Amino acid sequence: MTARARSSVPTLKLMMGLVRFAPWWYTGNAILWTLVWVMPVIPGLISKEFFDGLTGEESVRFGVNALIAFLAAYALGRVATVALGMYSDVNFRFRIGSLLRRNMIGRILALPGARAVPDSPGEAISRFRDDVEHVEEAVDLTVDMLGTTAFSTVAVIVLASINARITLFVFAPLFLVILIAERAGTRIREYRRAAREATGQVTGAIGEMFGSVQSIKVAGAEHHIIGNLRMLNDRRRTVMVRDRVLNSGLESVFWNTINIGTAVILVLAAGAMHGAGAEFTVGDFALFVYFLTFATDAVHFVGIFIARYRQAGVSYERMTELLQGAPPETLVVPRDLELRGEPSPVPAPPERERLNLLEARGLSYRYSDSGGGIEGVDLHLPRGSFTVVTGRIGSGKTTLLRVLLGLLDRNGGEVLWNGRVVDDAAAFFVPPRTAYTPQVPRLFSMPLRDNLLMGLDRSDGELATAIRSAVLEPDLAVMPDGLDTKVGPLGMRLSGGQVQRAAAARMFVRQPELYVFDDLSSALDVETEKLLWERLFADSGLTTSLVVSHRRPALRRADQIIVMNEGRVEAVGSLGELLVTNEELQRLWSEEPVGKPEPA
Amino acid sequence: MIPVRQYWHLLADYLRPHRLRMVLLAVLLFSGIAFQLINPQIVRSFIDQAIEGADRSDLIRLALTFAVLAVGHQVLSVVATYVAENIGWSATNELRADLAEHCLRLDMGFHKTRTPGEMIERIDGDVTALSNFFSQFVIHVVGNLVLLVGILVLLFRENWLVGLGITIFAGTALLAMVGTQNVALPWWKRVRERSAEFYGFLGEQLGGTEDIRSSGATGFFLHRFTRHLRVWLPDAVRGFMGWAVLWSTNILVFAIGTALVYWLGSRLFGEGTLTIGSVYLVFTYTELLRQPLDRIRHQMEDLQKAGAGISRVEELLATSSRLELQGGSSLRPGPLAVEFDAVTFAYQDGHEDIGEVVLDDVSFTVGPGRVVGVLGRTGSGKTTLARLLTRLYDPIGGRVMLDGVSIRATATGDLRRGVGMVTQDVQLFRASVRDNLTFFDPGAADETIMEVLFDLGLADWVYSLSDGLDTQLESGSGGLSAGEAQLLAFTRIFLKDPGLVILDEASSRLDPATEQLIERAVDKLLAERTGIIIAHRLATVTRADEILILDRGRVVEFGERKTLAADPDSRFSAFLRAGLEEMLA
Repeated sequence: MTARARSSVPTLKLMMGLVRFAPWWYTGNAILWTLVWVMPVIPGLISKEFFDGLTGEESVRFGVNALIAFLAAYALGRVATVALGMYSDVNFRFRIGSLLRRNMIGRILALPGARAVPDSPGEAISRFRDDVEHVEEAVDLTVDMLGTTAFSTVAVIVLASINARITLFVFAPLFLVILIAERAGTRIREYRRAAREATGQVTGAIGEMFGSVQSIKVAGAEHHIIGNLRMLNDRRRTVMVRDRVLNSGLESVFWNTINIGTAVILVLAAGAMHGAGAEFTVGDFALFVYFLTFATDAVHFVGIFIARYRQAGVSYERMTELLQGAPPETLVVPRDLELRGEPSPVPAPPERERLNLLEARGLSYRYSDSGGGIEGVDLHLPRGSFTVVTGRIGSGKTTLLRVLLGLLDRNGGEVLWNGRVVDDAAAFFVPPRTAYTPQVPRLFSMPLRDNLLMGLDRSDGELATAIRSAVLEPDLAVMPDGLDTKVGPLGMRLSGGQVQRAAAARMFVRQPELYVFDDLSSALDVETEKLLWERLFADSGLTTSLVVSHRRPALRRADQIIVMNEGRVEAVGSLGELLVTNEELQRLWSEEPVGKPEPA
Repeated sequence: MIPVRQYWHLLADYLRPHRLRMVLLAVLLFSGIAFQLINPQIVRSFIDQAIEGADRSDLIRLALTFAVLAVGHQVLSVVATYVAENIGWSATNELRADLAEHCLRLDMGFHKTRTPGEMIERIDGDVTALSNFFSQFVIHVVGNLVLLVGILVLLFRENWLVGLGITIFAGTALLAMVGTQNVALPWWKRVRERSAEFYGFLGEQLGGTEDIRSSGATGFFLHRFTRHLRVWLPDAVRGFMGWAVLWSTNILVFAIGTALVYWLGSRLFGEGTLTIGSVYLVFTYTELLRQPLDRIRHQMEDLQKAGAGISRVEELLATSSRLELQGGSSLRPGPLAVEFDAVTFAYQDGHEDIGEVVLDDVSFTVGPGRVVGVLGRTGSGKTTLARLLTRLYDPIGGRVMLDGVSIRATATGDLRRGVGMVTQDVQLFRASVRDNLTFFDPGAADETIMEVLFDLGLADWVYSLSDGLDTQLESGSGGLSAGEAQLLAFTRIFLKDPGLVILDEASSRLDPATEQLIERAVDKLLAERTGIIIAHRLATVTRADEILILDRGRVVEFGERKTLAADPDSRFSAFLRAGLEEMLA
């Protein structure tokens, strides 16, 4: 109980925050849905009047035709209320859901880029979709709770005025049902989880099976593998059936309250329905049974609300995890979602500022999971210099670039731009100051032109120059739609080399003060690579570059080479010096394929 | 419209073993419905007798009968759920297993174009939809149809005018409800599409944060985020309004129904045709119609969707392997002779189009017990050579022969036992170490496994695991180093004891200790077996008796290693001089 009490306070706070974000939609919702819930009292009363009319009770005031007219008026009124209620509901839900999503993505895009999402993107998506929906629903259900409370109050008052004793006996068991449902809730969750796990095992096994078809075929193990699948299938059947039966049982408990309630009314009314001016009329009976149905629905709703409220607590925590350290209130910070009117323009990039010298002192970073990283790295990049970082796999080359650019949050050290300390590296190192091509670049499902520009304002001529520098123009020539070619999800319609060169073009078109690229040539064939280096040296002659590479053309051209080993700088110098003094570089140099003859 | 016939055709074989349980299910369902139908009749008698001032004990007896039938109906429906779910899952589990096995036995050309995710969707997703179809169709559609008909029949029994009136009402109501649903369906589809687009966009953003941040495109992407929301909102509103329309139809239709009951009821009661209890009965039955009408309407959409799943499953079952049927020749145990006789091969992507030729007129012979080192650049056809030997593909020209017999004529089981292959990337399953080593063969003895592990120097590793052979490995690399995974793959081969071993050597560097273990294992593996090694290291090449060099699918050099090494003009001696790594890059 205490654990629940503790976690429910922030859940409530979150929900209040969301209500405050769209207070008018929420108020509209509350009024309309209370009406939607309370209105069924009317046909109940009409049916009482109808039956009492037939049995000739004295209290009857309206004839059948009048009752039918009332019924029609009620139906039209309820239809209008439902339509308005749905309209306000979807508007409210969409706004609060969008606020949560917008605040999450805003935070993620403000985090160091290489570590912005804690688990996989797929995992994060489920928090954007399912967890937001759970919270939406819990907030939404509060208006239904209001409505059911209002309905129950009205119903109990009306029924008690007819017969207090029967009302008490009929409605008391309903609270028992709430209790049972509450208890069963835990069990349902357990069974649900078991069912999900068993399903996960089956789908996992199928996925593995078809992920290693070749080894299974070669081993001739098809039959045994399927045997394992059958076993997992059977386990899943057991838990699935258990889950469904429990659900159906619970459903029955709810339905039975109506039936048992009806039976109770029958027993209590047994002696009271006889003769004119009877204590309990047929109309009363009809009204009691009718209200009982709705009251049971209301009780059902209480159960659902309790479950959703708890689920919302879990979802709230899961969304907070995604914020990686920002306070949970960040989720509900109000902002203009710009759903209507003119959207604000894309913010302009920062002012260009000439780079004279970029320095870094004692850069350090440690990966919490593997313990690897970099330690005490110094950099000195004067204007116009070409610096190559090299070293074997896992020596910290990529980490160094990421830490310098703020894509990873450094644990120690400082970075100076023209002698000025850079505090927020992630926000500072963007075009036109720097541009970066990661080792495995990502493109997005947009036309190629949008992928290169990403909102930047550049002329076609400038774009063409960048494309040429990146040796992308031969590929572009054969694409039927040219720059309007849709790149497909994650750039999957392009080859690995094309993606890499497109990313290079994306960097070139930004004309940054400092070019940073990570192993640009890893997915390129020898010819293309050679051309790319040539054009790079020809075009970027005046700008400053920081490059991870172990290719000979790059090393040969470098003004300084930084040799990394186990996260530290092992040596810095020109190729000539290092080939004599540094064993690591000698090894890397000799392992590089000579390939075709190079230009002098 | 509802694919019942198709569905039955697909599942009849799987449902047949559950015939008795199906009968039981029918009995349960129909008794439940009967209880549901009888209860309003009891209430009718109660009201009529109570008004007439019948004996209190008689009335209480009626009330109790009502309670018993009501509870009985609920119990029956829970039991029916249990039986139906069991039948549904047992039958579709069989279908899942058969479907998986069928697909697993299809040729590699089939698998090359399908991701594991897609296979999960076909084998589990589509079949689960069928399973839902089963329970929904039987319980909800059939059950509710019977209930609907039952109610109407009982109403006719009361009075033909009432029966006719309510029947017309029910028919019109169902038409109106399905009609409005069809109006709303495209709106709901649009909402689902919008949401899929949005999450697709979001997923890309979440995966590309490094590119977005470093390109200074945060503002651009947040702008696109807003644009997605702006187009989504009107569609979301329309989707909700679809629900509102559906609900409104329901309200209006049942208001009309109730009005009809009032009108008919007061008329017939006035004439003395119906008692007050009977009017209440008609009232109750009309209310009871809500459930079947609403459920049937609701199922229409789902049932139509099941059709797509059924045809996908059927299509999958109709796909047959492109490999010709296996032969009946057996392979003798012990080292095997290998012969490629003018083998030509190209991967086929679509159904008919033949791709680039990967192996071109390849011929060579390896005597039993000999070891060949295969050298060549990436793309020269080395891996394809191995795939043809294991008959993952059939050549488009020439023959691959083991012990003088074409492998097309060899029984598949024999071929699998006779040929073992270790590839660079070792696939592990999320299962115990034992199942990983034996490929889930329940017949493998622990002693044999431990013996092999001991021989390979892996015994210490197994003892260090919390549950020994029962320790669960994770999928993918299984939390093992590349070297350990390789050694596990060797263990698999030793347990199989084939006469021919194909080894695609790891090209990455391993730590010296593991490297030594692997060297020892390879020595053992090649003893008394024919070996084909796709070599990446000089150490391996020195182990080979013969050397085969491939270039763009052709054999450019084949001969005894010593002879080739001694000949200064051979490609092989050039390799030795320059170092393998540089030449093969």
